[in-house]
Amino acid sequence: MKKLLRAAAVAAAAALALSACAGVGASSDPANVSPTGEIKPREISWLLSRPADGAVINIMKKLADDYAKDHPGFALNLITTPDRPSYIQKLETLAAANKLPELFDTDATPFAQQLAKQGKMVDAEKLLKSLDIYDDYRPGALDYQRFDDGSLYMIPFQFELEYFWYNKALLEKAGVTAPKSLDDLPAMCTALRNAGITPIAIDGQDQWPLERYVAYQPFREAGPEFVQKLKKGEATFADPAGQKTVEWMAGLGKAKCFQDGFSAQGYSDAQNQFTSGQAAMYNIGTWELPSLATDKLNSAVRDDIDFFTLPTTDGSVTSANEFVSPSGIGMAVNSKTYDPLVSDFLKFALAKYPAEYAATGALSPTTNVQTTVPANATPLYKKALETADTLGAKQAMPWDTQLDPTTNGRLQQELVLLVQGNITPEQFTSTMDSTIKQNAPKFFK
Amino acid sequence: MLPNRSRTSVLVFLLPPLLLYCAAVLFPILQSLFLSFFSWNGISDMEFVGLDNYVRMLTADDIFWRSFFNALLYLAICLVLQLGGALAVASLLTSLRRGRELIKTLYLLPAVISTVAIAFLFVRIYSIDPVGLLNQLLHWIGLGSFERAWLSDVNTVLAAVSAPEGWRFTGLYMLIIYAALIAVPKELEEAAVLDGASKWTLFTKIRFPYIRPVWITTTIMATTYGLRGFDIPYLMTNGGPGQSSELLTTYMYKTAFTSTDFGYASTISVFIVIECLVAVGLILFMLKRKADS
Repeated sequence: MKKLLRAAAVAAAAALALSACAGVGASSDPANVSPTGEIKPREISWLLSRPADGAVINIMKKLADDYAKDHPGFALNLITTPDRPSYIQKLETLAAANKLPELFDTDATPFAQQLAKQGKMVDAEKLLKSLDIYDDYRPGALDYQRFDDGSLYMIPFQFELEYFWYNKALLEKAGVTAPKSLDDLPAMCTALRNAGITPIAIDGQDQWPLERYVAYQPFREAGPEFVQKLKKGEATFADPAGQKTVEWMAGLGKAKCFQDGFSAQGYSDAQNQFTSGQAAMYNIGTWELPSLATDKLNSAVRDDIDFFTLPTTDGSVTSANEFVSPSGIGMAVNSKTYDPLVSDFLKFALAKYPAEYAATGALSPTTNVQTTVPANATPLYKKALETADTLGAKQAMPWDTQLDPTTNGRLQQELVLLVQGNITPEQFTSTMDSTIKQNAPKFFK
Repeated sequence: MLPNRSRTSVLVFLLPPLLLYCAAVLFPILQSLFLSFFSWNGISDMEFVGLDNYVRMLTADDIFWRSFFNALLYLAICLVLQLGGALAVASLLTSLRRGRELIKTLYLLPAVISTVAIAFLFVRIYSIDPVGLLNQLLHWIGLGSFERAWLSDVNTVLAAVSAPEGWRFTGLYMLIIYAALIAVPKELEEAAVLDGASKWTLFTKIRFPYIRPVWITTTIMATTYGLRGFDIPYLMTNGGPGQSSELLTTYMYKTAFTSTDFGYASTISVFIVIECLVAVGLILFMLKRKADS
């Protein structure tokens, strides 16, 4: 039996060692963005996390079909997992097995940075420059995809702005106006609650929407650098900017800002509460324009809906035109499988993509095209799009793309407890600071 | 006793399933054991850390202990609902004259519905805004003060995620116990009744001792299923709020696939294997002692 155990252990070790070797041997130079040689059409795959019938997938399918007409044998296999946590697990497992496809989606996470450091992704800045389209991109769209050191390994396919949508009639009923400062929010929630209105509808089940809120105060108080330091353990929640957000989040909870039982409610629950006129506010991005600013919106609330951008605070170091403006999950190019075919297809697709995408009514990550406002849009649609032209240089990064995965998971859990009043701000601060201290060094060596 | 040649042929036929079992069950367990001595995130180099992961798990990880005790409570609730409920329903069924098949089928129904559907169903049932079935019922019977967001309240969430799992398999165990109960010889029962045994005595002295072997099997089945319970809590609350409904299994899964800490997740999985073995050992030991006495 002992012998058998030992044999099994050796076999396991050998298998792991072999797979590790395979990982090192095959990767090619990530800086070589113009591979030479013959274009040999084959099927390539893109592992992505986008809505199955969304604009990005539909357009890329069409472009791939067009490309295949001139290159018989070419096909683009799109494998989508829209549910983000499931997708991330899939991606990380494939990366561990060294089985990443030609193209794959990822945010600028610490995990992705490790992949980049190992030379597994093609340098996107060099790639875009070699295709002569780098300057077409909105600087903000590219910055969102960059790692902290400024390097760029992902290509954006969207550009979104996140707003606070609100119901003017409900605010009026409660005798309040849209907040001038972030610090006004708790008092506003109390007034709305007293009028019997749910102040903010939030998707608590997916956790990232609540995590957005924790990023707001530090972004105003200390700028985008705060989270970059926090995640490495160079700043803490015990710092002034950290304490401000902790106390503010606890205040939002005390004022009962979010709907009852929010932690078990999903994306569509939250949206329904807002669009049916039960909740006064809803924090979501321009990807929801088709349901919030067209005649698809419930006619009972259609004329009452407006939006404001992230309010500033007294002594804010960032300005009102700087807020969360993500360019969505980015597409990375696997350096191991990067060859003349992948390079040629990207050249073809990336040149044609912006015009097709803007025609769907969405904001292109590039500035060289004009977004078509749909025929059934309300005036709010245009206003929402035009805000993109006046954006400032800094942007608030969603923290779920910044923190190491363990800290991120713990933060999401503790935030719910903090907002529900199950733990005190002091407990929250000490738990989170010790979690970061324990986990950050492994990811940010 | 089988003749010698036939015993060889039995061994030959037993070998393939045994090998399959080793490849599918024993090998992954051994591999987990191996990985538990390493720090590895899937893409980094594997670093041998000796017993560090075990020390961290047992002494420095508050979530681990929280999930361990949650898992025990989850198991207790599941066992009460599944075994207690199953025994009660099965006993009642034996005294029913008509409609047994219908009731059996109705009770078994949840066991064949997909887990995801059950999870969504119960999220709706527990909901407060919009008002779900449970809160509505409480309101109707005048217990409005008990209305709450069952899945957001840290005091109720664990029971709330255990109940669907318990409810789901009650019918299955009921069926097994019912089959055992109707196999109890009628003569024995009739003789006991003639001797003046009450219904309770009949149950404790005749029926239950008779179905004890089946009871042991069902207890082991329910316990091991309960200890590895994962899908319903994961789908309904993802362990939240906070760690209030985190079980060892969901914690292990998150450690492996969200935190990509495969070494540490393997350590937790080794603990789960040991925990299951200990639980089964305990059950066998306790029931054997009872039978001996």
